[in-house]
Amino acid sequence: MEQVERIMAHRTVPQNKAILKEGEPNDCLYVIVSGSFRLTKYLEDGRRQVTGFLFKGDFFGVRACDESAYTAEALEDSLVCRFPHAFLEEISTASPGIKDRLIARGQTEYHKAQDHIVLLGKKSAEERVLSFIELVGKSVGATADEDGEGRVIPLSMPRQDIADYLGLRLETLSRSLASLKKKGVLRDIGRKSLVLSG
Amino acid sequence: MKQAWRKYLAARAPRYTSYPSALQFSTAVDDKVYQEALSRVSLYEPISIYVHVPFCKQLCWYCGCNMRVENHYDRALDYVDSLIGETRLVSAALAGRGRPSSVHFGGGTPNYLETDEIARILDAIECEFGLTDDARLAIELDPRLIKRGHLAELARLGFSRVSFGVQDFDPDVQLAINRVQSFELIESCVCDAREAGIEDVSFDLLYGLPRQTPATFAATIEKTIALGPDRVSIFGYAHLPAALPRQRMIRDRELPDTDGRAELSLMADEKLVAAGYGRIGFDHYAKPGNSLFSAACAGALRRNFQGFTDDVATTMIGLGASAISFASGVYAQNAKTVKQYAACIAEGRLPTERGVVRTERDEAYAKLIAELLCQRDADLEEAGRILSGGEIDNIKQCVMPFVRDGVVTFDAARIRMAPGARELSRAVAAAFDPYAGAAPALARVV
Repeated sequence: MEQVERIMAHRTVPQNKAILKEGEPNDCLYVIVSGSFRLTKYLEDGRRQVTGFLFKGDFFGVRACDESAYTAEALEDSLVCRFPHAFLEEISTASPGIKDRLIARGQTEYHKAQDHIVLLGKKSAEERVLSFIELVGKSVGATADEDGEGRVIPLSMPRQDIADYLGLRLETLSRSLASLKKKGVLRDIGRKSLVLSG
Repeated sequence: MKQAWRKYLAARAPRYTSYPSALQFSTAVDDKVYQEALSRVSLYEPISIYVHVPFCKQLCWYCGCNMRVENHYDRALDYVDSLIGETRLVSAALAGRGRPSSVHFGGGTPNYLETDEIARILDAIECEFGLTDDARLAIELDPRLIKRGHLAELARLGFSRVSFGVQDFDPDVQLAINRVQSFELIESCVCDAREAGIEDVSFDLLYGLPRQTPATFAATIEKTIALGPDRVSIFGYAHLPAALPRQRMIRDRELPDTDGRAELSLMADEKLVAAGYGRIGFDHYAKPGNSLFSAACAGALRRNFQGFTDDVATTMIGLGASAISFASGVYAQNAKTVKQYAACIAEGRLPTERGVVRTERDEAYAKLIAELLCQRDADLEEAGRILSGGEIDNIKQCVMPFVRDGVVTFDAARIRMAPGARELSRAVAAAFDPYAGAAPALARVV
């Protein structure tokens, strides 16, 4: 592990910059030190699908490949650590299972795909939206709001990305959020954060 | 219209909103056939979704739709549950295939339902089929049921297209058809729609109604032009009292005759075109700049159950009692009564009752007829790849009388409608349509 940490190269990724592009080769494993990323993929009909969001402590580029299956873009100015797969292979002779031990600390794009499938299986728009908020809360950690009665969930992604990810129209996302607030599930709706009750 | 053409106006012809028409439907198509057709829809194929709301508050005597007057809103709530159930059944059969390009609520009266119910249906469609922001949402509205803020609510749900059932502005005609709605009411609905940011407002008008005269209908068209809808559809009233008991409330002697109908239709056409509307197909009009107008100019006009459309989808998913779907060459119609329909959904079964499987030969005729109706120009050479030489010769022979009268021209291997003959395109199609000859009561051309 020490050896791994020594070679870790920190790299800043400015907002909207892609660190991994669909169809291009990838030979590094990345871990997010700070910030957040959006995973997207172009569908056969030319539309872009948001397939996941990654936060601090999450990994991507878990496998080296000639053609990445997705694009990873920074949602805000972020910091990542990169490990060349060749290097990880090399040290795994000395320390078997090093890659798994690294990844065990966080989630990968594969975990995110599971989350996505579960979300898309929800039967109502409101359920999808609420599950998404809770999922983000679990990933980034919620903080208490001013009077300590709500949990603030920061949202680094634009509304359109959330709608795309949930398979909903922007209108439906806004309507669902408004309805959740009306029901008292949400205390406040901000552009960059939401406040969950209790 | 030329004197020699007038005789064709009395001809009866299918409306060609499907091919073969619903007259060819049989119980050979059941839920299993439809299910299998859904499983052959391709992954990103555009699909057009139609939701049928069969309820009305009051009976209009001209109506030929599948509807019923319902005084208990609870029954409508049950129906909404069935619709949501059907959405799930169809979505399971599609298993992620297809992408909705549009959702259309028709009836009956879709706004018999409160906005909350419309939102629930839309949510189910959105969660089951997926909707994107560019999917177009349209709804037919009865102006008499529109309340304050109603159109703004619909706009918030994402509806960008509304069509108002206007029929006729004349109070006397309205009395004769049992649909009384003032000009001021329609005017305030249009204002509400514009204020809510709804860009595409459409009027449905009917000619051939009782007590309509050239003078009253001219006034109706002038009022329409004054309110400036983006589109206008003018349908001919089909009086079939033997089949539709409610139409017996209309007195035969108050109806305009064939010449009278033709006069009404041609006068409306003249006035709308003079006001800047473009002719779309044989019974639609649209303002330049409207998507339907652009589609017609680009040769991309299509015909489906809602009439002429610029929707790109060939696959149609009809939800609700009596709704018709078209997928992978199969027409499938749902059970017609609300009761039978709900019973199927409760059993977890697709509610298909009848339909028809389109053959390759049907396909060739369907294409020819669609080209003739939408583009006024049908490609016989293309049809000849599937149809035999004898069949092509037969088609030519069938349209010969129209050629002699100058209604159509033969140009190499094409049939073209002459300028000004668009009202007769259905009559020309019916002349060579192998199914039309054998069909019983059909609607008149005009």
